[in-house]
Amino acid sequence: MFPAPIREYHRPSSIAEALSVIAREDVGEAIFLAGGQSAMQAIKSRMLQPDCIIDLQAVDAIRGIRQADGALEIGAMTRYVDIAENVALDGPFAALRDAASHIGDRQVRNRGTIGGSLCWNYVAACMPTVVLGLGGVCHLVSLKGERSVPADDFFLGPLTTAREDGELLSAIRFAVPVKRSGSAYRKWGLVTDALPVVGVCVNVSLSGDGRCTAARVSLTGLPDGAQRSTSAEDALLNSDCAPEVLRSAMNAAADSVDAQSDGSASADYRRQLIRTLGAEVAQLAVDRAKR
Amino acid sequence: MKTITVTVNGAVYEETVSERMLLVDFLREQLALTGTHVGCTYEGVCGACTICLDGEAVKSCLMLAVQADGHSITTVEGLAGDKLTPLQQAFIENHGLQCGFCTSGILMNMSEFLEKNPNPSDDDIRHGLIGNLCRCTGYVHIVKAVRAAAAVGR
Repeated sequence: MFPAPIREYHRPSSIAEALSVIAREDVGEAIFLAGGQSAMQAIKSRMLQPDCIIDLQAVDAIRGIRQADGALEIGAMTRYVDIAENVALDGPFAALRDAASHIGDRQVRNRGTIGGSLCWNYVAACMPTVVLGLGGVCHLVSLKGERSVPADDFFLGPLTTAREDGELLSAIRFAVPVKRSGSAYRKWGLVTDALPVVGVCVNVSLSGDGRCTAARVSLTGLPDGAQRSTSAEDALLNSDCAPEVLRSAMNAAADSVDAQSDGSASADYRRQLIRTLGAEVAQLAVDRAKR
Repeated sequence: MKTITVTVNGAVYEETVSERMLLVDFLREQLALTGTHVGCTYEGVCGACTICLDGEAVKSCLMLAVQADGHSITTVEGLAGDKLTPLQQAFIENHGLQCGFCTSGILMNMSEFLEKNPNPSDDDIRHGLIGNLCRCTGYVHIVKAVRAAAAVGR
């Protein structure tokens, strides 16, 4: 597997410079390259055949994790390793570390980025699921201006997002939730830490007496890619989050999804994973919220 | 074509490469540093092409050579000075290799791993090795070698 000929390679050092290259009329098929851990495979298999690669490695403004204005902001070029090792990402943000510390292998985590994963939006991927479960907001910039797209509207199905040609994902923002919030993510796959057969993210907020005041549940490994389970969320909301409630919420999720059978698992097995893995994840999220 | 400047094992190379050339091919074919191996068909699954880029283990088949412009690379050829590193020595003493094809990638990954995790558990080591396929050893002796190297480093 080798890339088809590539005409141009650019390494801009600012967002403005990156946008001006991709907006050029004679640029042909141009792509932004983040960590390249998925994109390079697609380029080598020639699923992608870019004429021009705009490598974002030197755009420092879109890298790093910051807390500002009541929000947590993660730059799109922040690598998995930097998320996995950031111990400040606990409680409500713990699902980010759960996911980032088990993506691929340590070589992949040393280079792969959250922004690259979100824009690629592979059918079974961890980061889109977690960002959806945490209710992140994707910040996009282009020469026409800036816009913020909630995760619910950003992921439009496998390999499809709301990002338009000429737009750059600069950061993902998460509102810092009320106290007593917790999140968790786990996946199950055929190979340790590989792409998930099923992945589950649960994010809950509890009131002082332990009632669930907000819940988001997201799943991956299903035909439509990362998606929320409103039936699980409805079952959690206003409940006391007792173990049997968590189990019945994830049973509801399993019963309501459109699961597929393929070489990795049957539809029934996927539903069983949502039930069992989901109940564990939900318990972990609740435990973290109570801490 | 693009001219790039890369530091490899301490030596500075100024080379002209095609934009589509993979970093692993640049190292092997243009710089004749064939210690970095290609074990899968470049899908990024075997880890035999692992190098250290600015001190961090990455797979050189998942990068273009032009992306390494301005960066510093260490390959397996750059590990040993006058004598082998404790990790290399531990691989010999603990039978951490049989055919040796995967070994250079494992050494590059584990040398960075040990810098970050000087006192790893066996589980830590095994988790660190996920990205490196070995078809000979069953990993038992590799884990033993890494553990032994960590003990020497302490």
